[in-house]
Amino acid sequence: MFEEASEVLENMLKWSFPLSLVLFLVLVCPLRAEAAHEFSVYRMQQYDLQGQTYGSRNAILNTEARTVDAEVLSRRCVMVRLADFSYEKYQKALRQSAGAVVIILPQNMSTMPQDIVQQFMELEPELLATETIVPVYFALEDEELLSIYTQTQISSSSQGSSSAAEGTSRLLLHTATANGFQMVTSGAQSKAVSDWAITSLEGRLTGAGGEDLPTIVLVAHYDSFGVAPWLSYGADSNGSGVAVLLELARLFSRLYSYKRTHAGYNLLFFLSGGGKFNYQGTKRWLEDNLDHTDSSLLQDNVAFVLCLDTLGNSDNLHLHVSKPPKEGSPQHALLRELETVAAHQHPDLKFSMVHKKINLADDTLAWEHERFGIRRLPAFTLSHLESHRSPARHSIMDMRPHVDLTKLSRNTKVIAEALARVIYNLTEKASYVRISQHLQVQEDQLASLVDWLTAQPRAAQLLDKDSSIVNTLEYYLSRYLKDVKRHLVRADKRDPEFVFYDQLKQTMNAYRVKPAIFDLLLAVCIASYLGVLYLAVQNFGLLYGFLRRVTAPRVKQH
Amino acid sequence: MTLFHFGNCFSLAYFPYFITYKCSGLSEYNAFWRCVQAGATYLFVQLCKMLFLATFFPTWEGGAGVYDFVGEFMKATVDLADLLGLHLVMSRNAGKGEYKIMVAAMGWATAELIMSRCIPLWVGARGIEFDWKYIQMSFDSNISLVHYIAMAAVVWMFTRYDLPKSFRLPVTILLGLCVYKGFLME
Repeated sequence: MFEEASEVLENMLKWSFPLSLVLFLVLVCPLRAEAAHEFSVYRMQQYDLQGQTYGSRNAILNTEARTVDAEVLSRRCVMVRLADFSYEKYQKALRQSAGAVVIILPQNMSTMPQDIVQQFMELEPELLATETIVPVYFALEDEELLSIYTQTQISSSSQGSSSAAEGTSRLLLHTATANGFQMVTSGAQSKAVSDWAITSLEGRLTGAGGEDLPTIVLVAHYDSFGVAPWLSYGADSNGSGVAVLLELARLFSRLYSYKRTHAGYNLLFFLSGGGKFNYQGTKRWLEDNLDHTDSSLLQDNVAFVLCLDTLGNSDNLHLHVSKPPKEGSPQHALLRELETVAAHQHPDLKFSMVHKKINLADDTLAWEHERFGIRRLPAFTLSHLESHRSPARHSIMDMRPHVDLTKLSRNTKVIAEALARVIYNLTEKASYVRISQHLQVQEDQLASLVDWLTAQPRAAQLLDKDSSIVNTLEYYLSRYLKDVKRHLVRADKRDPEFVFYDQLKQTMNAYRVKPAIFDLLLAVCIASYLGVLYLAVQNFGLLYGFLRRVTAPRVKQH
Repeated sequence: MTLFHFGNCFSLAYFPYFITYKCSGLSEYNAFWRCVQAGATYLFVQLCKMLFLATFFPTWEGGAGVYDFVGEFMKATVDLADLLGLHLVMSRNAGKGEYKIMVAAMGWATAELIMSRCIPLWVGARGIEFDWKYIQMSFDSNISLVHYIAMAAVVWMFTRYDLPKSFRLPVTILLGLCVYKGFLME
């Protein structure tokens, strides 16, 4: 039979060469199977700051899934829910050189109890501090992911209990037919992004009365930070600071537009980028303004620099200084006015000054005012947080519910009043009344600003100079301020201060797979089936004869 | 799932055909080329059916859930062409006696197997994702082999002029069942 078959095929092939070419192409084309489930995953931070590497180094993944309580974790993708996450389990996974870790976060973070949220916020810096080769991903939970997780959990825990008293055949059957999942990510290995530009924005309101006016600088950094860049919304830190700054810009631009209230101070507003990466934007801006330019507002008479950082919650307000202000200086005036306003008009607010010397031996600076302090400009930071190490400054849990609008608007009022008192040198009450009508803080303006800022992640790695957030901020500033300029920071080529890496958001596919034993089992079943079939066909005559005998009586009757 | 799985499904689908071919004694009658001819006739008939359907039955613009009985009925009637094709194969193909049935059915079923099952198996069973449907598809091809043998036998019986009258009715019913099988299952 094979000879004639080959003859026939040969003839056919000669005339159908194009067809066989097509067939060949079809055969070698790469496979693209449909996955059981496809979902977005967000990778943990990866960056270098001043030569020090942080975060997870790797990005590709093609491993089986397991949950954290399984025995063998090496080269597997460990899936963990936020509720079950703990540092020890994470360390265990890393020790056993797991293939990857996927942390499943709930869609709505407010459903999580506070202590778990708090615990995770404290863990975030520790996760980042240990540099790992293992890629760590975060995914938002949905029904299918949850079902994948529960199935994986069942199979993981059953593997551990292999010493149970079940019969070996049943156990074998169970492991052979269990549903496993293969997790595959799309995308390439992560590499450094070259030539990333961090953008900062500045704008000014010029004072009345000629040259050599003192300048007040108001600064807030607009980027956010968290353990996963795509999930860091930074509502309180520093979305609230940006909202306050923009609202102050609006208020003072109104005041400056009337001749009577046009004060003798220059106001310089600065929205800095790269704030969470050791205030790169501010650092370069200062260098450019003080070292490379001939004349700049910063070189002349600077009264003080007020940095706004995290003002959206709580009943405390701290003024962080690196040097206590001297009597009679404008800084001291501001300090005094802040105390007065807080004490008289908002008794629920507790205001205090916190003195912390600049420690140049630290890896990173504590607050933004320290950048100015290094350049001998008088500066302080206003924040409701007491310590710069507070986990709320670097957390992905910092989302819109963290900002309390009434407290934010109260803080804005306090700052606006205190600034107005210093600028207009108001000691008596009468002239204050004239000003106060223009100092109405609009709460819905603040609300919409905060809502807009927290609608998308604002990590520094995601905001390049063309991003919509930067453009919108520039537009907003140019409505109220003059001379709105952009300032770009690019890392130095030879000795970069900061290096960002890409592949921060990928799509992960979960494929349902059966273990290898299943294939063998199936092969055995098919072989036996074919054997039975062969026997049946060989002995078909017997079957036929049997049937005839059965139907014969009926025929005979007929 | 892997190449091994593809091998499993492939063997599940193809080996019964192989076994049937070897064991029914067709190989002794040099019937391979005739089977191929039957397969070619199958291709031709399918092509005609498709052209006919495409020309005369435009896509029905109806609601998603309502089943177009009349339309599907007409479409199933076109499957009568299948029977005609089988008859054509058996009448033209010189084969001796009952072997005509076997030759026609084998060729027909093999052509159907290659055309409709090969590519899904290759593309699907080799992927990472596992799905029971590939094993189902392979098993289904076994069943369709038996089905085509039966269908060819019934067609042959239908055309026999010396068939006793009493058998006519069951034969026609069986033929009708064959044609409208897909329709009835809906």
